[in-house]
Parts: sequence; structure tokens; C-alpha cells
Amino acid sequence: MIQAIPLRHRRLLGSAGLYVAVAAYVVFALFPIFWTFKISVTPTALLYTQGATLWPGRTTVQNYVAVLLTTDFPRFFLNSVLVSGATALVVTVLASAAGYALSRFRFRGKQAVAFLLLLTQTFPLVMVIPPIYRIMGSLHLTNSLSGLVIIYVAFNIPFATFLMQTFCDGVPRDLEDAVLIDGGTRLQALTRVILPLTLPGMMATIGFVFTAAWSELLFALMLIDDPSRMTFAVGLLSFIGKFDVDWGQMMAASMLGLVPACLFFLLLQRYLVEGLSAGAVKG
Amino acid sequence: MRPAFARNPLGSGFAARSLRRTAEPWLYLSPALVILVLVLFVPLVIGISYSFRRFTAFRSSYVGLGQYRTMLHDPALGQALINTVWWTAGSLAFQFLLGLGLALVLNRRFAGRSVVQAIVFLPWAVPSFLAGLTWAWLFNPVIGPIPHWLYAVGLQSQPRNILANPHLAMWGPIIANIWFGVPFFTITLLAALKSIPADLYEAAALDGATVWQRFMRLTVPFLAPTIAITVMLRTIWIATFADLIFVMTGGGPAGSTNTVATYIYVSAFRAMDKGYAAAVAVLLLFLLVAYALVLIGMRRRLLPQ
Amino acid sequence: MKNKPGCRLKGLLKTATAAMVLGVLSRPVWADTTLKVVEVIPSPARTALLQQEFASFEKSHPGIKVQLTSLPWAEAFEKFLNMVQAGDTPDIVEMPDRWLGLYANNDELLDLTADFKRTSSLANLSDRALQFGSAVRGKLYEIPYGFYVRGLFWNKKLFAQAGLSAPPATLADFVSDAKKISAMPGKYGYCMRGGPGGFSGITMFMNTMDGQPGYFHSDGTSTLSDPGAIQGLQLLATMYKDGSAPPDSVNWGFNEIVAGFDSGTCAMLDQDPDALIGIAGKMNADDFAVAPIPVGPGGHAYPTLGYGGWSIFANSSHKDAAWQLLSFMVSPDNNLAWSKVVGTLPIYKDAEQNAHFQSDKFKGWFTELNDGSKYVLVTPPTYLEGFGDLYDNISIKTFQQVLLGQRTAKDVADQWASYLTDQLKAYKAHQSAN
Repeated sequence: MIQAIPLRHRRLLGSAGLYVAVAAYVVFALFPIFWTFKISVTPTALLYTQGATLWPGRTTVQNYVAVLLTTDFPRFFLNSVLVSGATALVVTVLASAAGYALSRFRFRGKQAVAFLLLLTQTFPLVMVIPPIYRIMGSLHLTNSLSGLVIIYVAFNIPFATFLMQTFCDGVPRDLEDAVLIDGGTRLQALTRVILPLTLPGMMATIGFVFTAAWSELLFALMLIDDPSRMTFAVGLLSFIGKFDVDWGQMMAASMLGLVPACLFFLLLQRYLVEGLSAGAVKG
Repeated sequence: MRPAFARNPLGSGFAARSLRRTAEPWLYLSPALVILVLVLFVPLVIGISYSFRRFTAFRSSYVGLGQYRTMLHDPALGQALINTVWWTAGSLAFQFLLGLGLALVLNRRFAGRSVVQAIVFLPWAVPSFLAGLTWAWLFNPVIGPIPHWLYAVGLQSQPRNILANPHLAMWGPIIANIWFGVPFFTITLLAALKSIPADLYEAAALDGATVWQRFMRLTVPFLAPTIAITVMLRTIWIATFADLIFVMTGGGPAGSTNTVATYIYVSAFRAMDKGYAAAVAVLLLFLLVAYALVLIGMRRRLLPQ
Repeated sequence: MKNKPGCRLKGLLKTATAAMVLGVLSRPVWADTTLKVVEVIPSPARTALLQQEFASFEKSHPGIKVQLTSLPWAEAFEKFLNMVQAGDTPDIVEMPDRWLGLYANNDELLDLTADFKRTSSLANLSDRALQFGSAVRGKLYEIPYGFYVRGLFWNKKLFAQAGLSAPPATLADFVSDAKKISAMPGKYGYCMRGGPGGFSGITMFMNTMDGQPGYFHSDGTSTLSDPGAIQGLQLLATMYKDGSAPPDSVNWGFNEIVAGFDSGTCAMLDQDPDALIGIAGKMNADDFAVAPIPVGPGGHAYPTLGYGGWSIFANSSHKDAAWQLLSFMVSPDNNLAWSKVVGTLPIYKDAEQNAHFQSDKFKGWFTELNDGSKYVLVTPPTYLEGFGDLYDNISIKTFQQVLLGQRTAKDVADQWASYLTDQLKAYKAHQSAN
């Protein structure tokens, strides 16, 4: 049946279908975020009476003003940027090395290591809070951003390592053998040849780790008491009072919170779009 | 040029080379492993040890396998396990398929691709409890649009909150989870797709392979390792993920959205028996490890390296 | 000895020294003390008020610094428990009534009875305040800062539309009024709270229908399995089935019932004065008022009474300074300001003479407080260690099962009753062991 339609029209249908599918997904992905934005510009008095409409009768920027000028949000923001950035950096270095090791070497204990990485993901974090709190306490790292970074690094290492291993696996061995034969060290092979070829994967990993650290709530809440060290997610939680949730401000803060993740990702996009540059493979 | 090994301070003897060869992978692994063991593994072991004790808020006593015995007779746990299977399978299937489809689409050039790519990432950047709150709002007929749309389209006889219906409630968090998780698959699979050399496709096309054949014989094998690892990880994460459900339904109504993860949270912080929560967590751990082993076994058999 | 100038000087010196010594003894010198205070139900207005109070306290007590930590309420219980379990305890903590049983029974809190007795500024504290602060073992583990009394919020507009001019006076009126309002399309009579936090409201209806206040008979068995109480639970379930409450309300928590009331979806809401803060911002003041809880067949109603307060941790290393601060925070003037901001009813006798509390919004609550013949206020048994699990966990799921028709009201009421009876037995056993 399809064969009966001329190729040109088939292609057109195909692309039309493509665009429809993409548009449908974009609407799905954006709608809750649009809703968040809508609530952030709705005046409190209209919040519930006009709750279900697609756009409020009156809009206001009061929530954004309040969040930026009267709350500690700029501080929380900064803390989150520091923590997430540090986490992403450290994890990338550690996981690239570890992923490379798992990819390239055969050694006793390799299965055990992989199993260990997996095992740490299966235990709900809620259960490890008390022991971690005690360990961090003994190291005097509670209530500190560096303590939080260490914890986030640990959380993200398994996932990042597995990803980096998979991407390293995709790079043919002859490339680094070439470097070694030429007299380079393995480390040079890793940094100069392998990692650049795993760039899309590495960028995806960095993006994920940054975002994971940015939105993490539980540990940031449990570990940090000092308001000057609180992160963005904990700050959001503080809008939820017992008797009054300040939805407008909370959603305004959430919209602002999307900005760093977006920016970060826009920066990384370039590397995701570039595939293997021609010529490197057969080099 | 002098060979690399001759420059090594450990010397150039056979024993030294052997040592270096066995030590080398560990050198690359150790920083990651040290942090992991200290911060996650040790607390995990301690957490497991809780399951042999019975806790009240400030005291605990050793009870051996007592908590596990209680678990065997707990009907709420049985319901939670069933719910967990629904929750995990439902969330995973849709977000994986949608993510894969989207990755394939984004791998092709089209107008506005970079914009779409940036938008795709957004849901993952939203903190999970906030996503839960927003979706709960969307599903609430008093203040949200979805029930009214469902009613307008004829799917509901009156605008009602599916979160309040014990038969449908699980779908609320599942939909929110799909929304949340598609970016994960899209981006990892897209990154993997990017590393497939383009000339392979050209060669196959020249050979007369159809789109479907190219997909099955080229794309899938190349993607297989990435698919395996992302599916495995994401399943484990979903199974241990309580935030979304807790925020949207609290495990209700009448326990219909109570999964093992939310049950653990409730046991630890409402009933305050960390011991029982730990025992349930150990059960979950075994189930997830078994699942992972099965997946790895399957992968080995289906795609011999 | 003759009256030489030297003698007079010596006398003066002696007196001056004596005065100085007395002065030093009566006003302790605080050498760089930092008091840690934790609040668990923060809001911007309230935190600002606390900071103000602390600033003036620090001025009048040089050497003492006050450090305030505000925990977001959404996770406050878990976070605070975590802190205490790890040994990170404050000097003063805000103690919601439902936490008191947990911390007091585990000897984490300081008995303030002696301190209270010797502090004259708190002399006018109402008997209720003392009674509730001493809920656990009769020792004053907490000084309440205010009361939350359940009242019936009602939507004047919706009532008028249904042809009703006044709020329901009896439970029978309550049910029929709700039915009339629900007859209007898209409207419902009662904003039922089937989700978290509903338990005290449910037991209130059960008590009122039963004609007996409180959770226990004098013999230690729970009142919740009385036939009258079961009828009360059934009353709610029937209302839900008949459509007098929105079908989604099976899962409604605090935010949802307030949203339902504010948006004019449901016309009646039983809540405490602090809900006013959230509602007043989103609803027209002329559209609603607060009435006393409708009375039951016996002519009585048993509104629930809750409270929050401040406690001092037993392991505090600055007990005296902490008491100074605490008594300052609950002193009459500060407490009045506090009540206005936080939305509680003040803890002192004759509180309602103040103009703020005389609007028709507060009339309902003060009627309940003052008319002891019709209204007996009930506090939940927060001294029972396991009460939190019942309130926050068990009761929610089981109440939803009743609403959905999965279990009978009698079945669930019996389950609650036996749980409470067992808890009380354990509590008494623990008490006699001490």
C-alpha cells in the first residue's frame, strides 16, 4: 500500500509525521513548566478561584520581585551552583578514570567492582541517612557544602562510571594502542585520544550529574542547618508552610531554578550535536 | 624512542611489570572507589545491620531475624510489592520507548532541532518533589485543567481527580514519572547514537537495506550496551523512588499507590521502626540485584561480544 | 568609735560592696552564651517576629546570643528527629502537641514546673495552658504558646444560594445543609479531609455523635468503638457516598480542603484559626465566617483543641538562660503579638478582650472556649508514644477504606479503639515502672 504512494509524498508524509510527533512531545514536556510559570505570575487572590484556567485574569511580577529581593534565594542559588558545579567536575574526572579502567582492563575483582557500583544504587537513600550523618559528623563535615559535595560525588559515581564505561567501549582499541606503540603513556592515550572521542557521552554525563546535584533535596535538607549554606531545593521546600503554601513565590523560584540547568545544558549541547569528527576513526 | 615501561620508577623487571599491570586498573579506580566505599558502602552495610534490630525513636534492641519474620506476614507489604511492579514497569516501558523514539528523531536534522533538544532536557531539571506538586495540581479538578479535558474528551463521566480513584491513582505518578524520565533516555541514547559512524549507515543504504533493517541490524546492536545499562539503572532508580508518589498521593487512597519505597519511608519516619524499614529495604535490594543479574545474563546471551 | 568621716566612708563602701554583690547575685552575668532555638512551623512573618523578639532579648541580656534555626514544616518531623538521634539538640525547640508524647516520654525534655512557679510574669497563664503543657505524666514539659480550636468555616454565599441563612446548629442540620448545597451542580456541602491530618476532625465527629468527650473511658478502654462513635464515623462515610463531599476529597490534605473552600467548591470546612491566614488571603472576607461546631444528639459538641509551645531540652547546657528566653517569648505582650501573627488563641485569661479577637471570624472559637456547658474541648492523647503513627499513618489508610466502602465503619473504629487501648496500657505500665 505504502509503495503505491510516490517516494516524494512518502517523504513529505514522513517529515510531517516527524514534526507532529516532535510537536506533541514538546507540548507534553513543556505543559507542566508552562503551568508552573502561569502560577508564578498569578496574584494570590486569584490562585484558587481561577486555578483551572490557562491564563489568569491579572498577572503580576510581584512573586519574582519578592523571591529575588526579600528571600535568601540568591544565596541558595549560589550555593547550589557551587555544589553542583564542583560535583559535576569531580565526578567527571573520577568516573572517566574508573569507566576507562572497567572498559579496558581485565583484572581480578572487576566483577566485584561492577557489582559494588550497582549494589550502592539499590538501597533507598532514606535508610543511609543516619549512618552518613554520623560519618560526616565525625569528619566535621555536617552543615558544610563540601560535605554535601562529597556525598553527591559518591551518589553519582556509579551511574557516571557505567556510562563512561559504555562510551569508552565504543572507541576502538587500536587508537590507544597506536599511542602506546608510539611511546606515549596510557594516561596520555586516555586524555588525548579516548576522552575526546567519548565527548558526547561525557557531556551527557556532566549534564546529568549537575542536574542531579542541583535538584537533590533529602541530603541537603538533613545535612545543612545554616541558612547561609542551604541549597536551592531546600529553599523551595521552605515555601511550604504548615498553613499556607506560598505557591506564587515557590513557582517563581522554581522557574528561576530552571535557568542554570538550562544554561548548563545549552553549553553542553554543542558537544551532543557533534558526532565523531570525520577522519579521527581511521586516523 | 624508549619504550614506556623503561621509564617507570618501579624498574623494568618482570615482577615489576606484573605488579604494574595488576596495579594499573586499580590506580584508575581507586579515587572513585574510596569515596564510594566510605560514603555509600559503609553506610549501606550499617543500614543493613539495622534490619536485625527493632527500633523505637531513641532506643533499639537486637532481634535477629524477627523483622524478617514479621515481613512474611505483612499484607501491606504484599500489596506494596504488586504496586511496585506496576509502578516500575509502567514508568519504565513508556519512558524508554518515548525516549528512544525521541533520540532517533533528534539524531536527524530538522528545523529547530537545537531548540527542541534544549526543551527535551527541562523535565529532568525539575526537582522531583516539585514535579510531583505540579502534576498533583494539574490533576486536581478544583484548580487544574486535566480532569476537565478528560471530561471534555469523554474519557470521564465527570471531571474527577484520578489520584483519588484507587484503581487509577497509580497512573498519576506514572505519568509524572514518564514526563520526568524521558529526557534521561533521550539524551543518553542520543549520545550513543552520535558515536555510530555515519559511513556505516551510508554503506548499508548503498547495499539496499531498508530503514527498518538499518535500525535492527546497525542501530540496535550499537545501542545495546547503552540500552542495557540505562534500562538497568533507571529501573533500579524508579523502584527506589518514593518522592513523586509520596507528594502526589501519600501512598493512598487506601494504600493503592503504596510501593515498597514509600512503605520504607513510612516505616522509618512514621512508625519509626528503622529496623523494619531496613528489612524491607534488604528485600528490595535482593529483588533488584536479581533483576540486574538477569538483565546482564540476557545481554550476554543475546549479544555475544 | 566617734562619727569620723573615715567611718562613714567605710560604711558607704560596705553598702556599695553589698549592693554590688547582691546585684551580681540577682542578675547573673551571661558570659558569651549562645542559645540555639529551633522553630518547626516557620513562616516569613513569624520568623521575622521571632528575630525581633530575640533582638530585644539580646539587648536586655548582654552576653547571650540567640541562634534561630527554621526547619521547613514539610519535613520538620523527620529532620528534627534525625538531628536529635545524631545528638544535635537545641536549647529551646518549638514543640507541636503531637510531638510532645514522643520527646517527653523518652526523657528528652526538661521539666519546667519549678521554673514556672518562680516566674511571676507568667502568673496569668490560663489553667488550660498549664493543663496541656503537663499532658505527659503531669510534668510541665512544654509551655504552650497558643491554642488551636476547631471551628466550622462556612461560605455565606453558597449558603445563601442554597436558601440557607445560618450555619448548622446541630449535626442533623449539618448533614441536611450539606445535602442541600450539594444539590447545586458542581458544589458540595463539606470539604472532607480524607487525606493526611484528618484524624482529629474525624474523632471530633465521632465524639460529638457519641455524646462523650475524649478518647478514653475512665476504665482505660477507648471511646472510639462506642456505638455512638461508630455512628459518627458512619455519618461521614454516608455523606461521602451521598455526594455531600467531593469525590476527590478521599485524598484531600490541608492544602486541598483549603483550596476547595477558597474556590467555592465546598461550603463547609472544619479548621483551626491558623487556617484563617491562608484563607483570608485568597477569599473575600465578607464571603465566609466561622461558627461553633454543630452539637450532637445530646446537645453538646466536642471540638478538638490543639496547641503548640516551647520546650527546653534536658541536655541543654544553658538551662537558666534558656528559661529566661522562653519565659520572655511567652510573656503576655509577646504572646499577644505572637497570636496575631501565627493565628492561635492566646494562652492568657481574658484574651478575647483584645479588639483583634472580636471580629465575627473569632466569635465561633471564643463561644466554644467560653461556653463550658455546651462545648467540651478535647485534646488528642499526644502523651501516647504511638499516637503519631495512628494519626499520620494508620488512620489515613483505614479512613479511606471506609469512605471507599472497602471496610465497614465498625471494623475500622474497633481497630482504632483497640490500638489506643493498647497504647494507653503500655503508657500506664511505663509510668508505674518509673
